[in-house]
Amino acid sequence: MASRKKVLLKVIILGDSGVGKTSLMNQYVAKKFSNQYKATIGADFLTKEVMVDDRLVTMQIWDTAGQERFQSLGVAFYRGADGCVLVFDVTMPNTFRSLDSWRDEFLIQASPRDPENFPFVVIGNKIDLENRAVSARRAQGWCHSKGDIPYFETSAKEAINVEQAFQAVAKNAMAQESDVELCSDFPDPIKLKDDQAKPRENCAC
Amino acid sequence: MATEIREAEQNASVSDSDSGQSDFIETNEIPGKSSNTLLVANDSFEDLSYAELNNTIVASPMGTINSLVKKKAKRSLSLPEREHVEDTVSESEVDDSEVETSEICDDSQVDMIEARVTELSLQETTSQTADAQIPHLMTNTDTDYVNSPEWKRQKKHIFILSESGKPIYSRHGNEDKLVTIMGVMQALVSFVADSNKDTLRSIVAGDHKFVFMTRDHLTFVGVTRGKESTQQMFLQLTYMYNQVISILTHSTLTRIFKQHRNYDLRRPLSGAEKFFDNLLNLMDVEPGLLLTSVRCLPLDSNVRDIVSQTIAQHAKVKDLVFALIIAQNQLVAVVRMKKYYLHPMDLHLILNLINASESFKAAESWTPICLPKFDAAGFLQAHVSYLDEECQTCLLLLSVDIEAFYTLSECKAKIQERLIKYNALAAINNSLKRNSYSIQQCSISDLRHFLYKSRSTAQYTSPELEAPYNTKEEKERLFGLYYYLHDRIHTSGRTLKILFHVGAYETLLGWVTTGFELYAVFGPLVTKMSAIHAVNKLLRWIKKEEDRLFILSSVTF
Ligand SMILES: Nc1nc2c(ncn2[C@@H]2O[C@H](COP(=O)(O)OP(=O)(O)O)[C@@H](O)[C@H]2O)c(=O)[nH]1
Ligand SMILES: [Mg+2]
Repeated sequence: MASRKKVLLKVIILGDSGVGKTSLMNQYVAKKFSNQYKATIGADFLTKEVMVDDRLVTMQIWDTAGQERFQSLGVAFYRGADGCVLVFDVTMPNTFRSLDSWRDEFLIQASPRDPENFPFVVIGNKIDLENRAVSARRAQGWCHSKGDIPYFETSAKEAINVEQAFQAVAKNAMAQESDVELCSDFPDPIKLKDDQAKPRENCAC
Repeated sequence: MATEIREAEQNASVSDSDSGQSDFIETNEIPGKSSNTLLVANDSFEDLSYAELNNTIVASPMGTINSLVKKKAKRSLSLPEREHVEDTVSESEVDDSEVETSEICDDSQVDMIEARVTELSLQETTSQTADAQIPHLMTNTDTDYVNSPEWKRQKKHIFILSESGKPIYSRHGNEDKLVTIMGVMQALVSFVADSNKDTLRSIVAGDHKFVFMTRDHLTFVGVTRGKESTQQMFLQLTYMYNQVISILTHSTLTRIFKQHRNYDLRRPLSGAEKFFDNLLNLMDVEPGLLLTSVRCLPLDSNVRDIVSQTIAQHAKVKDLVFALIIAQNQLVAVVRMKKYYLHPMDLHLILNLINASESFKAAESWTPICLPKFDAAGFLQAHVSYLDEECQTCLLLLSVDIEAFYTLSECKAKIQERLIKYNALAAINNSLKRNSYSIQQCSISDLRHFLYKSRSTAQYTSPELEAPYNTKEEKERLFGLYYYLHDRIHTSGRTLKILFHVGAYETLLGWVTTGFELYAVFGPLVTKMSAIHAVNKLLRWIKKEEDRLFILSSVTF
């Protein structure tokens, strides 16, 4: 089972349909790029092991697999997430404007303990395309206003910066990793109620 | 197998066929019956309905045993009624209807789920691209194993995951390499829960059963291609859940996830993997878990009396709730505080604790253990020690006082000294050496093996496994027959009383009354009449031996 060093992080990728979430994930995990748009039901999962500050971290990455409003998975999708990647398409301004509602929806559904400091990362994807419509400055401005969310510009197609973006989310999630000491505060030992059972009556002690 | 089986389950009535024997089901004649409860035994299999299993343990704010007493009182109000109904259905009535309960909602979901299940393997393959930068940390053998055909061919998989889909335990393969599959499992459970406001119980795909149980922020998943029914898998998952509670307590478990939904439960459970592994191994070989009852070490009743009296006398210590001696997974003696009972499911956790730990053999130990049926909110402290050189006979003293180690250590010394002096330890050792008993001792021709459970005492007895059931495969097959028989009797819509089943290689007879459960395996050619005759003879034999095979008197401090 878990040695002290092993860590598992649940990471969720959110963003409008078509921004390249699945491609980013595939690029990151399998280093492949597929041009096929595949809409499936429910969620997709990929796993990746990385090193963060000398610790082996397993990332369990949850992707929405085409149902961007995931009526199908609801709160389960977000529950217990350690990190969240918000993705927009730099050629589609409306996908950038959606980031606000994605972030809000995540915070409502996942209700993390410390929403102000929850480890988000924002990715502006498809920078390989000519028709860019959202400037880096504009994106950075938004990230800054939301508590300095790290911002990365990527191309899933050309494998630019993808690794770095995911590494950042892992690192920030690790920093948040709660190290509750559970075993130090055992629950109260059982107290026997004497008036119910009178065990001591016939004790010789 | 199916085509070769003839089933004849009608009219196997006791009164019709063998009226002279019906007195054996009269209450005072039931072998192994005792009115002195030492184990709470009213939790028979049919009570373990989904509804019951789904009841999360209510942690009493007091954390006291009062809640248990109350719960018991409530139960005894509601239960007898139900049992009565069953009992008035005449003992002789036999029900042979094959009710297949479909547990899944609708076809579209099945399709979707099946698609997901078949995708699992594909997903795992994509995810295994090991990062080349960290070769020394990546145990490639682990990764390879969970992607191998061997892993998929395992007869039974058990997984535990958190409600966020994080892996906690896997019976086969490193759970750390099963991150993707665990996510998918959680998604399946949540999909049904969220979109249908329903609960995913099981999926049947080919010869595999997938059984799901969600409790207290944890999801337990069992995958089997063995003979276990869904209900029986559910019971196994319940034991796993109880094992988690036994290590953490229910209150800690719920507190953890209330505070940190993303918590990695492997941390507080680290080192506990052996208990899960061992418990699952026990379930495959030890019928007591299926029967929610325990096996006693065969012992002369006067020796057993000496043992329990010795404990009762020399462990009269404040706050000591239970004292028991166990040897090779069998109960030798139990002494308990008045009004407190040990539940057989809890006792199996204790047996598992001893069975899975080598360290108790090295020194007297003091270890916390939560017994969920007793009080899920808190720990008992267990003083654990072996009484003999060979480390076969184990004494457990369970107290609510965390400071009691030295006091109990003194008790142990006294008990040990007396048991040696009275030759009781030697008698225990002798019994261990002798093996239990051979089916031949019952001298019933064509009877190959049986399980007999006395319901009032939650104890069972069965003979040694002998030829043909002495190879691993045959033992497994026999166990499969018992699974089948047990399931047919308990979960075919209503409880059957007698079931006569002619299989390809053996004939089975199951008989359940309010007092006992009997599962008997005969040679293939036995007739119904002679089988019924034989089990009545067997009951007489057990009755004759009951003092040796069962603990019939309940000793309190
Ligand atoms: N040019 C370019 N196309 C991309 C990039 N990432 C994704 N795509 C394409 O965008 C479309 C949608 O991608 P997909 O990953 O399915 O988006 P999702 O709906 O967010 O999962 C697909 O046709 C991809 O091939 C990128 O970085 N550059
Ligand atoms: Mg997608």
